[in-house]
Amino acid sequence: MTYYSGKDGTLTYNGSQVAKVSNWSISSTVDTLETTVLTESDRSYVPGLRTISGSATVFYYDDAPKSLLERVVKTAVVSESDILTIKLGWGTKYIQGSCIITSAELSCAVGEVMQASIQFQFTGAPTGVTL
Amino acid sequence: MSTQGPDFPNLVPTARSMSPGDFAGKTFRSQSGIEARVQYGNKAFDKTMDLEYSNITETDAALIHDHYLACNGTLYYFGLVEAPKSGNSTFHLGDSNSTNTSNRYSSAPFGLRYRYAEPPQFNSVKPGRMSVTVKLIGVLDS
Repeated sequence: MTYYSGKDGTLTYNGSQVAKVSNWSISSTVDTLETTVLTESDRSYVPGLRTISGSATVFYYDDAPKSLLERVVKTAVVSESDILTIKLGWGTKYIQGSCIITSAELSCAVGEVMQASIQFQFTGAPTGVTL
Repeated sequence: MSTQGPDFPNLVPTARSMSPGDFAGKTFRSQSGIEARVQYGNKAFDKTMDLEYSNITETDAALIHDHYLACNGTLYYFGLVEAPKSGNSTFHLGDSNSTNTSNRYSSAPFGLRYRYAEPPQFNSVKPGRMSVTVKLIGVLDS
């Protein structure tokens, strides 16, 4: 039996590991499609579309979060070339898929280490899952 | 008399709405506001029945599509089996005003025949699932 903690976590994009990651999280939800008909007294459903999204916080140490931020914070328009492969790992386990950075936030405050927060949305199914 | 098509597919709808139609007649109103009504027929007509099928399988949606074509669109009348009328058994059965079999969602006891009022609407929801809206009208057939 093995416990995992923050020291086991990694965040990789397009094969390159991001340094100074403070935290990441991922969430997967499935829509439900109602199939209840008039003769039934309990609602029934079938699975609908799945949505996977996540977020991560990276300390701004050197250029650690730069490659993620510049996907959306730039002078050029965001295009399909900004879709990247993100791999969230812990130990030998991981979840990987094509993602669009949907939000990038930089914060700088007195008494705090500058950090970047990103949110991302999977496009398509995960390309690799090991839980 | 119009040609009869095959019975409607035996599918229970997600939602249904029905309007019993109205009798043929004419209303006259005098300048004083008094109203007189003349009845021209003894049967209500233009009974409408709207059926909604949400998130049904493509196979079931195809049954409705093919039935519409088998009825030559809005031209042929057809029988409505029990499943599309199910779910309100107390309302559906026991119409004391009807001299025939008392099924309020049916058309036959009232001397009417259902046909498509307009082409059914098919909406794709996700692979394998579709939603269909069907509008029927009960008309006095010649």
